[in-house]
Amino acid sequence: MSVPEGLPRQRRGIAPQMLGRYPDWNVLEQSRHWDDKTREVVMKRVESPPHILFFTEDEAETLKAYCDTITYQYTEPRIPVLSFIDEKLLEGRLDGYQYEDMPDDRDAWRLVAAGLEYSARAEWAAESFARAPEALREDIVAAFADGLLRGGPWEQLNVKRAFKLTTKHICQAFYAHPWAWNEIGFGGPSYPRGYAAFGADHLLDRERWEPKEEFVLDPVQDTKARGID
Amino acid sequence: MHRLVRRGSLAMPKDNDSPFLLDQHKRGLQNLDRMARYPKTAPVDLAIVGAGAGGLVLAQRLARAGWKIVVFEKGPFWDPDRDWVSDEAGSHPLYWTDKRIIGGSDPVEMGKNNSGQGVGGSMTHFAGYTPRFHPSDFEVRTRDGVAVDWPISYWDLKAYFERVERELPVAGQDWPWGDPHTYPHGPHPIAGAASVAWRGALAHGVEMRAGPVAITNGSFGNRPHCIYRGFCLEGCKVNAKASPLITHLPDGIEHGVEVRADSMVVRVEVNDAGDRVTGVTYVHEGREEFQPADAVAVCGYAIESPRLLLYSTSRRWPNGLANDHDQVGRYVMVQGATQVAARFPTELKMYKAPPPEVSSEDFYETDESRGFARGFSIQTIGPLPIEWAAHVLADGHWGAALREYMRDYNHWTVLGVLCELLPAPDNRVTLAGERDRYGMPVARFDYSLGENDKKNIAFGTRILEEIWEGADAQETLKIDRYAHLVGGCRMGFTPEDSVVDSSHKAWGVDNLFVVDGSVFATQGAANPALVIMALADRCADLLKGKRSTAAA
Ligand SMILES: Cc1cc2nc3c(=O)[nH]c(=O)nc-3n(C[C@H](O)[C@H](O)[C@H](O)COP(=O)(O)OP(=O)(O)OC[C@H]3O[C@@H](n4cnc5c(N)ncnc54)[C@H](O)[C@@H]3O)c2cc1C
Ligand code: SF4
Repeated sequence: MSVPEGLPRQRRGIAPQMLGRYPDWNVLEQSRHWDDKTREVVMKRVESPPHILFFTEDEAETLKAYCDTITYQYTEPRIPVLSFIDEKLLEGRLDGYQYEDMPDDRDAWRLVAAGLEYSARAEWAAESFARAPEALREDIVAAFADGLLRGGPWEQLNVKRAFKLTTKHICQAFYAHPWAWNEIGFGGPSYPRGYAAFGADHLLDRERWEPKEEFVLDPVQDTKARGID
Repeated sequence: MHRLVRRGSLAMPKDNDSPFLLDQHKRGLQNLDRMARYPKTAPVDLAIVGAGAGGLVLAQRLARAGWKIVVFEKGPFWDPDRDWVSDEAGSHPLYWTDKRIIGGSDPVEMGKNNSGQGVGGSMTHFAGYTPRFHPSDFEVRTRDGVAVDWPISYWDLKAYFERVERELPVAGQDWPWGDPHTYPHGPHPIAGAASVAWRGALAHGVEMRAGPVAITNGSFGNRPHCIYRGFCLEGCKVNAKASPLITHLPDGIEHGVEVRADSMVVRVEVNDAGDRVTGVTYVHEGREEFQPADAVAVCGYAIESPRLLLYSTSRRWPNGLANDHDQVGRYVMVQGATQVAARFPTELKMYKAPPPEVSSEDFYETDESRGFARGFSIQTIGPLPIEWAAHVLADGHWGAALREYMRDYNHWTVLGVLCELLPAPDNRVTLAGERDRYGMPVARFDYSLGENDKKNIAFGTRILEEIWEGADAQETLKIDRYAHLVGGCRMGFTPEDSVVDSSHKAWGVDNLFVVDGSVFATQGAANPALVIMALADRCADLLKGKRSTAAA
């Protein structure tokens, strides 16, 4: 079990896999307090995630499985991480730098898709990365994180940097999504309302509309204790 | 003895009406319909490349002195109401995200972390810290035997620091470090996350102060008060945090500044002899245009200013404009900006209140017992969720552990160092083979740390850990990173050691100036924006009476 015991199920709104520390916090209920432009941008993310156009069907199948593994999203509701990455790459909204020993981000992603399939078949004797069981995918990803994948498409990449690049894009998409804000208790957009209560340990530590945390656990100790890291 | 600045609204600047030209209820500029439009057929007095910290201060000052000025800006003309969002991912357009190749043994990641675009430049999404340099920063060769001295001193800039601090305006406690001074606005209240850091510092014997931040904390023309919403790095939708878009451009427009947004300058042109520039060639809506000018000021920041000069070749300047001695693009510096996050049992919600809150300059100066030259500052930061995920990824977590660390977001708070890293000739900008959408070669930036740099970062990181121990943190988590960019067209004493002289004039070209962060000879351990603005203010003072000479 890789979710801590007792982690509450979401009661209001949606959290990824309906788990989170703030079960009654639905940030979207606050949207009438946001400025119009921000509301438009954030609601579009929730209501109409982009279609996959940049990646081929095969690449998308592999990369969805990869994104699920990185974000530990093995059940619905899932944040459609790959859709947002696809849109970013399609529109060329890159991050402003490329390591000298890496290809363009768009090529790097395609090579990672090919590389995961290559390694799954060549080294793990799996039918494919996309359809491999979760535990096997985690083994392959662990080797990717450590820069240990070799051969085939990996020869065209700095493997560690490719892991860094793809996980960065994945987190950019995942933690931009209001469902993730529900899970972690982030207040979301705060213009024009702002905060008066920004203290700690005293009366003014939360606004009346802010959520209460219902489950507390030190992740450093817990992930060590359960050996999941 | 330092002079006390009077607090609050009494100290309004006298020769910059920008705060009154804004509207209390609308964030965009209100005088755009009065903006000058100069013809492309006759030379203007000055063409400025880049509408950032340096460019817009220079423009406003010289416009007040009667100069006709066009500012070229690659990015859009922002209207914060229309264009900016209270959202991390949605703020991507604020950053300079055109490709740059990075190399060296310690490559520096670019984009969101260090470069902006659009009218206002990088300050539209800077954090807001506006410390001064210390007097020692201008003479590190003399004092510490490292790097180089500047050809100017703290005392040449002091009056300009004071003037710009009043215009931003800067809020903070009385400042005990460097040249002790006071600020026009009082300190902002401290949020829970930052107060924990302060407590740890106290326990460890480190002095902290609130500020200095360029965020209004009192009435200031038509700029509203900060609402402590914490999205400073996404662009302030309130107009509480300073950027030259609101602190200098409104007054500049009133005095005849024209800004041409969405206009990328691709070449600075020279006369046949190559001793004078004649204007700039720029790309607007896919078309190349030429604007003649009697003088040109390049203000594109530490990567773009060198790139533009390197690409502006001619018969006289085969290796790039003002580059007789292979100095253009060299000595680019960043600051070591390692951050250490700490976990506490209570919720701290570091996303509230401006990320820049309290800082310490206790370790700023050289202390020989530490085993390295120069020092560092300590500052609070409050990463939003996506940025926090970068910390968690850097610590090596993914999958179930990533999600679990992220669920704990509200229990963490972050302190960072800003270590002065020394200039090195091979930390430089060159032109890569690949071209961008304007047909210009992409910049390549190589960076490698030196021994002194590594010791400084390691020492600073240890102090952060100790502060968190002092605060009884349960866990800590470290991310190594860099912040800020300066150098690349440094100011110096001779054409052999620099690109511009002490008045910002390029060696070998009579009417070309560089006025931005790229002229820094050394980096200090202070954030650069205030220094850049003060330099631009001083440069304008030197140029002011010389319109005819520059234009002769
Ligand atoms: C996330 C972040 C946080 C920061 N935090 C702080 C802080 O707390 N305190 C601090 O002091 N500093 C901070 N900084 C740094 C500070 O913002 C910069 O040092 C400063 O704005 C640089 O000023 P500049 O005038 O040199 O360049 P900029 O302000 O970057 O302006 C340069 C402008 O020129 C334009 N340009 C470049 N080339 C061309 C061309 N060829 N044609 C047309 N236009 C061009 C660019 O689009 C840009 O708008 C931060 C920066 C970032 C990115
Ligand atoms: S915290 Fe204050 S200064 Fe920062 S963005 Fe919000 S209102 Fe502006």
